[in-house]
Amino acid sequence: MAAAAPALSLAPMATTVTAAAAQKAASPKAAAGGDVRKVVPVMAAAADEVVVQELHVLAVDDSVVDRAVIAKILRSSKYRVTTVESATRALELLGLGLITNVNMIITDYWMPGMTGYELLKRVKESSELKEIPVVIMSSENVPNRINRCLEEGAEDFLLKPVRPSDVSRLCSRIR
Amino acid sequence: MDYSNLRRQAASMKRGLFDQGYLDEQFRQVEDLQDEASPNFVEEVVVLFFKDSAKLMSNLEQALEKYPRDFNRWDAYMQQLKGSCSSIGASRMKIECLSFRDNCGQGNVEGCMGSLQKLKREHALLRQKLESYFQLLRQAGPAGAATRPVM
Repeated sequence: MAAAAPALSLAPMATTVTAAAAQKAASPKAAAGGDVRKVVPVMAAAADEVVVQELHVLAVDDSVVDRAVIAKILRSSKYRVTTVESATRALELLGLGLITNVNMIITDYWMPGMTGYELLKRVKESSELKEIPVVIMSSENVPNRINRCLEEGAEDFLLKPVRPSDVSRLCSRIR
Repeated sequence: MDYSNLRRQAASMKRGLFDQGYLDEQFRQVEDLQDEASPNFVEEVVVLFFKDSAKLMSNLEQALEKYPRDFNRWDAYMQQLKGSCSSIGASRMKIECLSFRDNCGQGNVEGCMGSLQKLKREHALLRQKLESYFQLLRQAGPAGAATRPVM
């Protein structure tokens, strides 16, 4: 999965690239249609300049408390975070191009309406979205569930309550 | 005003909450997230938690009446509640959530009712204790509020 994507470093670094250069390099199709881009490549804008854009994580969870905590964990690690309260809403906003340049989706498993598992499947079935790594969170340690998610293409499975160390471990693994 | 004394009191109050099982390790994880960018993060999340859990308990109470013996539905509500408790380290509340779910599993209506009442009591207790704690922290001065909580 991640191997097929362009070389990606999720270690956040300050960006010095101009907006125009970033736009061009990161989303060649963005001008054409504003669909969700995949992982942001490390760009060499000039001979002596290597820049990486701030990474954007989409966090999906029906619990307002969990959204607050996961968002803070991610922001403390310098990720840009968009939080959404349901999978349906996430897909809707992604489809409308209102959420763009997503580098990772982290989602709760059990949510009313569409589950995180179903969201995972939809993402992996979508030509625009399938390159985006999807991480599943769950408060229940159910091996079958975990396996199913991983088989469906989930990048990782985190047990709740999620800790900062889980997230940094996860991000350091995606190279 | 003796700020260091107030801070000691706050630390002692917090230690008590851990010793008596009101809070668990997850609360410390949440505290560790507090920083200069979000100097009141812990209190904000706690306030969010109490509002949210009050609403969930209220929804559950309505469901108990409106859907008698619908243990699957009741359990689903409680799972949400348990998740929130877990996320901020509300340990005693979490125990009552588990007890409720056990009762659901056994089809024990009386047991469910009892667990919910206990949960409401724990909710009120924890809320009061944490409110006192944060108030003390505030009194302990800007240094007490903005830096990492003592412990």
